[in-house]
Amino acid sequence: MSDMKKQIRSFVVENFLFGNDEGLKNDTSFLDDGIIDSTGILELVNFLEEEFSISVDDEELIPENLDSIDNVLSYLERKRA
Amino acid sequence: MTSSNDQLNINICKKCILPETFPGISFNDQGICNHCQREEKRLEKMPEKKESYRQKLDQLIAEIRDKSPAYDVITAYSGGKDSSYTLKLLRENYDLRILAMSFDNHFVSSLSWDNIYNVTNKLDVDYINFRPPWLIMKKIFSMTAREDIFPMPTLLRASAICTACIGLVKSLVLKTALEMEIPLVAFGWSPGQAPIQSAIMKTNPSLIRQNQLALKKALALTNSRGLDRYFIPETYYTNYKDRFPYNIHPLAFFDYNEDQIVQQLNTLDWRIPTDTDTNSTNCLLNAFGNHCHLERHRFHPYVWEIANMVRQGIVDREEGIDKIYSRQDQKMVEYARKRLGL
Repeated sequence: MSDMKKQIRSFVVENFLFGNDEGLKNDTSFLDDGIIDSTGILELVNFLEEEFSISVDDEELIPENLDSIDNVLSYLERKRA
Repeated sequence: MTSSNDQLNINICKKCILPETFPGISFNDQGICNHCQREEKRLEKMPEKKESYRQKLDQLIAEIRDKSPAYDVITAYSGGKDSSYTLKLLRENYDLRILAMSFDNHFVSSLSWDNIYNVTNKLDVDYINFRPPWLIMKKIFSMTAREDIFPMPTLLRASAICTACIGLVKSLVLKTALEMEIPLVAFGWSPGQAPIQSAIMKTNPSLIRQNQLALKKALALTNSRGLDRYFIPETYYTNYKDRFPYNIHPLAFFDYNEDQIVQQLNTLDWRIPTDTDTNSTNCLLNAFGNHCHLERHRFHPYVWEIANMVRQGIVDREEGIDKIYSRQDQKMVEYARKRLGL
């Protein structure tokens, strides 16, 4: 697992699953599985901006970018390319 | 099975009040939980962050003020302390054109209705109430009292009963905002309920649609008919795609002191209801929701919120313990159970 993926996973587990990562796969949908709601997405965005020095625009706040560990990773890779 | 009174015999964090029964918790040698340890650095930056969010709100309000046909903001208004104070802040600090919207879940304290009447009148705010039929709400609450229809991560922050109710509230308020072209949707989340990072957020069709689908899926398990009318119609995602509002919850970045808030609200003739539990100032179902959650999960559904506020120094630790670890009022539990026919 890449370092970036590990960082994202660890943030989600600590902040939204309160340390319990049972059942969290890399393609698990945060919204479908109630892990993060639409407002919680902003906590994730704040983490991404601070940790990876990117700026997330309002129009980028979509499930395709932020709804799973895999989606977040692909989004980050695109942003940093 | 553990009853709510067994809570008195469990170990809790020496700094905040999270119990050993909270999923994923661990403690260091000093008895401090992993959440307190993790939050330490974030809390140091909090004053700076709050100031930046206040500026962000000022800027947002300057952009949206008087641009929409009738209202600048719609506020989800329960008549409780926090949403009443949010209404007061928005009216008095920003002089916005406000529409306050209540959701009658059939368990609103009668004193809360008086509070709603007094506060909206004193603040000169327009007000609407939305009340689904009793049979629908009864079905939803009975089911959520018996079973967890929501995924576990959701239930770490609120009971199943509260999650169902607030899910409908969020949906109806957003639906009204879209229909009336209202650019801001305000909630009275306490600083422990929702983090500052999400305090100002632009909603968008794609994210909301997925969120709505998850809620619809969960509520479908209650076998209640006709719930679709409470959700965002599919056509709105395209027809109103440019109307998706900002969500704000200002209490995350304004000074929050419960006693001072109550004092300020008293000037609007708002009074603390005497018939609700220690964690609600409007709902007669809350104690039963807490009771069901405790029975099933062995931790109080408000403990995450109150622990956050203890950590932030907003709520005194002893007061927090009192709110969370006092006995649930059995009369209130039985009142709701009886009304739901359980």
